[in-house]
Amino acid sequence: MDGLFSQVAVLGSSGVLLCAIVALWRHGIGAYISAFKWQSNVLAALTAAVAYFGHDYDLYWVAALMIAVKGVAIPRLLTRLAHRVGQNRESEPLVNTATSLVISGLLILLAYTAARPLQTLSAAPTRAGIPLAIGLLFVSLFVIVSRKKAITQVIGFLMLENAIALLAVLATYGVPLVVELGVFLDALMGFLVMQIVLYDIHDTFNTLDVDVLNRLKH
Amino acid sequence: MIAAFLLPLFWLMVVGYGITASGLIMPTPRLIRAVTAIGSVVGGAAGLTLACLVLWTDASLTLEAPALLTVAGGWLFHLDRLGALFLALISGVAIPVGIYATSYTASYEGRYSTRWMAFNFGVFLLSMSLVTAAANAITFLLCWELMAISSFFLVVTEHDREESVRAGVWYLAMTHAGLLALLSAFFLLGADGPTAAGWTFAAMRSAAPQLPSSTRNAIFLLALLGFGSKAGMVPFHVWLPRAHPAAPSHVSALMSAVMVKLGIYGLLRIGLDVLGGGPSWWGTLIIILGAASALTGVLYALVADDLKRLLAYSTVENVGLVLLGVGAGFLFLSLSQPEAAMLAMAAALLHVINHAAFKGTLFLSAGSIVHATGTRDMNLLGGLVKRAPWTVATFLVGAMSIAALPPLNGFVSEWLLFQSFLPGVASSRAAIAGLLTLGVGALALTGGLAAATFVKAFGISCLAIPRSNEAAQAHESPRSMRVGMVLMAASCPLLALATIPTLTTITGALATLAGLGGLSGTTPVFHLGVTLRTPNGMATMSPVAIALVLVAALVGTWIVVRVVARRTVRIGDTWGCGRIGQTPRMEYTSTAFAEPLRRVFDQLYRPNEDMAVGVVHPESPYYIQSVTYRTTIHPWFQRVLYDPLVDGVERVAVWTRRLQSGSVNAYLGYIVFVLVLLLVWVIGF
Repeated sequence: MDGLFSQVAVLGSSGVLLCAIVALWRHGIGAYISAFKWQSNVLAALTAAVAYFGHDYDLYWVAALMIAVKGVAIPRLLTRLAHRVGQNRESEPLVNTATSLVISGLLILLAYTAARPLQTLSAAPTRAGIPLAIGLLFVSLFVIVSRKKAITQVIGFLMLENAIALLAVLATYGVPLVVELGVFLDALMGFLVMQIVLYDIHDTFNTLDVDVLNRLKH
Repeated sequence: MIAAFLLPLFWLMVVGYGITASGLIMPTPRLIRAVTAIGSVVGGAAGLTLACLVLWTDASLTLEAPALLTVAGGWLFHLDRLGALFLALISGVAIPVGIYATSYTASYEGRYSTRWMAFNFGVFLLSMSLVTAAANAITFLLCWELMAISSFFLVVTEHDREESVRAGVWYLAMTHAGLLALLSAFFLLGADGPTAAGWTFAAMRSAAPQLPSSTRNAIFLLALLGFGSKAGMVPFHVWLPRAHPAAPSHVSALMSAVMVKLGIYGLLRIGLDVLGGGPSWWGTLIIILGAASALTGVLYALVADDLKRLLAYSTVENVGLVLLGVGAGFLFLSLSQPEAAMLAMAAALLHVINHAAFKGTLFLSAGSIVHATGTRDMNLLGGLVKRAPWTVATFLVGAMSIAALPPLNGFVSEWLLFQSFLPGVASSRAAIAGLLTLGVGALALTGGLAAATFVKAFGISCLAIPRSNEAAQAHESPRSMRVGMVLMAASCPLLALATIPTLTTITGALATLAGLGGLSGTTPVFHLGVTLRTPNGMATMSPVAIALVLVAALVGTWIVVRVVARRTVRIGDTWGCGRIGQTPRMEYTSTAFAEPLRRVFDQLYRPNEDMAVGVVHPESPYYIQSVTYRTTIHPWFQRVLYDPLVDGVERVAVWTRRLQSGSVNAYLGYIVFVLVLLLVWVIGF
């Protein structure tokens, strides 16, 4: 049973991470949104699996909420946002696709090295997924750093949020439901605030390219 | 019995200053002014009573809240006699200054936020009071920092004037450099303490004798740097002549009379109480820096044209005098002459109290002059004696005190300072004798120049014909300002008459300190009574007798002139010299008054002079139409020490600004970069 659980955990985590890497090699904003949507769904499935194998039934609620908020609501809002600002391509990112993938590989390698003490410390069957979660953390940070459109940076941030949720699920079978609810609310509020700021940026500069924010310096 | 009153009094003090700070949320300007006065008076009165109870009885106050900030040992207050002495000083000055502030701040209404002012004023008073009672490192540093921040906000009250903001930046930079030194000193002192308990002053005190001498020296130097920069010791005084004039006058009075003294308090607390004194070079260093402060302060005060800047430089001078006494105390202690040490320290502390009285008076009167005329430039003042008699009278009392004229209080403490140096001149060790002789020389020169400075300050600003329209239209200040000034000024003669009780209190407080501990009660340090005799029996003086003789002389003169000689009063122009139609242009100016002395010390000032002569016709240089003379003094320590430092900081700042590219990606990249770097570091080690 534990063997299967462990394999499901690794598979799920890999799926979550893969979604982030997919985003790195695609250019369309639509692709980013669907990558995020699928990532959230995979994460929700993994959470449900952990709930089943770990007998932690609160986690079913978390999984359901995850699908509702991150799998449906936020992607829909993102799509609307992308339509409204009328730009659906991440014009040349700061780092090109090939280099991005190499850097992601290196970051995941770093994550494996960094997570070693955590892995030896934990006895949970899900521990093999921990490095993948930390790897996702790095990759999403990298997405934020290397992409120029504000909207892709927001998606990077949401992926970062997913990475933290993933880490929580893998390392401790999730945090208490109340905390989880708080986190969801936070993510949603954070997203809404960012949305407003994005509209503002767009209205002011007529683009979502964060390069133009340089002009604010003087 | 008495101990039961201490805690309520402490809380009453806190509540009082809290009321002052509550000006922040008061709806109307009237209420803000009311809480400023009520809070300061309540807090000051409670603090003064508390301090006196601690000073005059055996009671002492301890208050702890270990649950707040447990990591560092929590908040811990312990008010002992040394702290109580300074608490008495703060509270005593807070009352008149609070009353004075009531109508003084009214002139700020509408232009600047008086709410914010009242809030910071309350916090400033409270944090200063708490510094004196702090008994562990974290409490002390927190209160110290709170004091610095709140006074910074008060300095930059007039935030739209570039001069104020520059002064604020200097103040903030210097006070934080000092804080850095203090933090390091405390870390060195507390480093051996295994638990949070090791951060209390009591633990430091018991651990200090075992510290290696190099650590002790480092702690002393850091403490001297940190506390010296707050006290305005040369060469760390640069902020003081900028910040004190820039602040509103009631705040200048507090900063000058009280806040800089906390630097002296800290030096005594760490150097004498915790470390228990040290090798003789400690005292020597303090004496040299003290002499440098006294001379530099008075020389720059002499040539200042800005009234408040003059007073600020004079504060540097007086801190120098205090440091001379403190340094002599440290020196005598290291030479195992505790009686002489006690005399020097007591003289220094008496001067601390006296300076608070007269400098407070002077700043309040100067504030009243600024209030009445709108200018601080003495070359635009004059003739105030007829227009603002109360202000001028209090200014005169303060000026006479600071010039050390008997029967006022400045005379007593300066006399004592001389007495503490003079016996050492005959010391068998040539180096000590030489040093102390130079100290006496510095004291004498400073005293003389200070007298000249205040003749100028009083004569030019208050007497003669007004030099400008503003001065001609000057008016007396509102009543609450007059009450504040008169209270403050009254303390000058009162302190002189009460010299002996004050000295008893001071020696009582000093005797509790580790370094001077052997002296408590048993040895008669001063032969007290109506006359004051120094421990070595070399000199005797009675402030009361001097006062009586002077009053008798005054009354006698009046009787001779009015009753015996029956002379009537004749009214004529001041310094008329028989001329008719005097104009202000014929008067001595502040610059002109200081000119002879400025020429004598030319090498020190190195002024930039610029004289332009306008002639009627270019062919004949003999018919002069106008002469424009301009002189500026850029202090040399500024040029030598600070200008390169400021340039260096600016260069680094400009270089660092490249980090601020304005690119969001770069900023986020920094975060990721640091994160990755830290992880690699953790893995690597």
